[in-house]
Amino acid sequence: MAQLELDSVTKRFGEGDESVLAVDDVNVDIADGEFLVLVGPSGCGKSTTLRMVAGLESITDGEIRLGGDRMNEKRPAERDIAMVFQSYALYPHMTVRQNMRFGLEESTDLDDDEMDERVEDTAELLDITELLDRKPGALSGGQQQRVALGRAIVREPAAFLMDEPLSNLDAKLRSQMRTELQQLQDDLDTTTVYVTHDQTEAMTMGDRIAILDAGELQQVATPLEAYHRPANRFVAGFIGEPSMNFVEGAVDGDALTADGFRYPLGESVAAAVDGSANATLGIRPEDITVDGSGSLEGDHTFDATVDVVEPMGDENVVHLSIDGGPQLIATVDGLRRIESGTAVTVEIPEEAIHVFDGSSGEALHNRSLDDAELDDRRV
Amino acid sequence: MSAADRARSAATGLDRSRVALYLVLLAMVAFYLAPLESGLMTAFKTPEGFRTTTPFALPPIGEFTVSAWGMAFERLSSGLLNSAMMAVPATVLSALFGSLAAYGLTNLSWRGQIGVLMLFVAGVFIPYQAVLVPLTQFWSFVDLGGRIPLAFVDEYQGLINLGITHVAYGIPICTVLFRSYYATIDEDMLEAARLDGASAATIYRRIVLPLSVPIFAVTLIYQFTQIWNDLLFAIVLVSDPSNQVVTVALNQLQGSFVQQFNLQMAGAFVAALPTLVVYVLFGEQFAKGVAGET
Repeated sequence: MAQLELDSVTKRFGEGDESVLAVDDVNVDIADGEFLVLVGPSGCGKSTTLRMVAGLESITDGEIRLGGDRMNEKRPAERDIAMVFQSYALYPHMTVRQNMRFGLEESTDLDDDEMDERVEDTAELLDITELLDRKPGALSGGQQQRVALGRAIVREPAAFLMDEPLSNLDAKLRSQMRTELQQLQDDLDTTTVYVTHDQTEAMTMGDRIAILDAGELQQVATPLEAYHRPANRFVAGFIGEPSMNFVEGAVDGDALTADGFRYPLGESVAAAVDGSANATLGIRPEDITVDGSGSLEGDHTFDATVDVVEPMGDENVVHLSIDGGPQLIATVDGLRRIESGTAVTVEIPEEAIHVFDGSSGEALHNRSLDDAELDDRRV
Repeated sequence: MSAADRARSAATGLDRSRVALYLVLLAMVAFYLAPLESGLMTAFKTPEGFRTTTPFALPPIGEFTVSAWGMAFERLSSGLLNSAMMAVPATVLSALFGSLAAYGLTNLSWRGQIGVLMLFVAGVFIPYQAVLVPLTQFWSFVDLGGRIPLAFVDEYQGLINLGITHVAYGIPICTVLFRSYYATIDEDMLEAARLDGASAATIYRRIVLPLSVPIFAVTLIYQFTQIWNDLLFAIVLVSDPSNQVVTVALNQLQGSFVQQFNLQMAGAFVAALPTLVVYVLFGEQFAKGVAGET
């Protein structure tokens, strides 16, 4: 168990003109026992970052420290870390027991009895005792996944690295394993870096999430912080499902205007956007009020038409077009009946809006929310 | 035309093309097997028998004999033994070295490996004939018997030279065979082993080697057949008659005055038998290896 620090870590593939910057100056401090989720779209450099921590990829610039020790020059075997691969990477010719023992045999001085004991204990923890004498080929995907976890856990490393370990499982098993993995990490209290492209996994599993895009770190925050106080437009759009709505417009005094859309800004928001010529308005689907009775009134209400309704059961995802203006997605209660084609009024409440700079994408204003509330809800 | 008629005509049409297909196949089988059948028949005939009948006819009554087999076995036995002593270790070694080289060139990464790989690939295409002179010069210069004072080396010098030559000559093709197989090994798995603390040598011994059984079968069969059947190197490199391999001994069954076809045919079958045995032994793994199963 140890603290893991990434200090200005940079990875460049290739040399000279043809080099590609895969990871650009990433700084993250991961506390002892913390569960950090590294999330981003494909090709954002998250796996490369993880592989640098593992020692499978060299570090072009910067430093990685585990428990205060510089890792850059150490071989993977010397780093006291274990990794779980997306493909599970089990040894097909060995039984589950041999798979789990392999790391102990190669990296520790334990005698046979101690190794057997560790394997048995870990197998019990993961509920795979009856699989110990089978080979990986005879196991289901979920069972292989457990064995892959077991192989990492049995070594009792200072840190776990997980590279999209759940993405080969079907949806139901995935959500089950998600919970189980969280509990396991809680029990073991081992520093964990978990890579995923799935924002649901990121939101639900991590103590904190680090969002990467194009090799650059966008934000490191608790899931709720990233959700409610995104550092920029990329984070706002990436975290949350369905995604946040964006309306790109121009700043016109104390209002934000786009084609057929004018949104008056209050004093404090107007002050925040002052100085930017263009700005993007952001609003989460669940914060939009959809009303069919015509009773909604105010500066922030707009006439709209329902285009498509996607019933999800617990909620309806409503695709709307503001008359003559932009399109929005809103979510409403699952029991409410909304027909496509109907005319409605929508309200975009000012306390729920985010405003991002039109060119840099930086957050100029985030929704108002009690900080205390955010902290309370932190797990 | 009713549906039944149509079905019947379709059936007869099918039958005709089927019959034609089988006839063609049968003709090809006969064409392919005729030499073998003729050889086998001839091997069981007396000299009078093979003089008076066509080669593929059954032995005439009274002209059937197995004496040619006995004599062939007797005259080839020392050659068989020599060939086995040389070919088995040479086959195993060239496969093993090929496997090691392929592992180093495929699953490990180091600077300049493409250049080295090119040398291996080029090695596959060097014709035997092109190296005969340098090879004889090399072995007369090296002179193992004179340098290593062991009775064994002295006695089997020709075979040892021949075996080493076959190992060296077999490494490139073995490497290429193993490389294509090793390229399909899951990279994540080898990385997992590295993280588990295994060195490159340990990964080879405990993971790559156990997974190589099918491709070893392919390589062993191929190499064994090549080495066992080789005549050219054997003639050039082995001068001592006591070191003679089976192909050379078989060649000498050809009489100078009287052609003993029954003896030659029986000898050919005796000499070919070990390669057949190897196919049978490794057949199942061979099929897996050819199909590229891991």
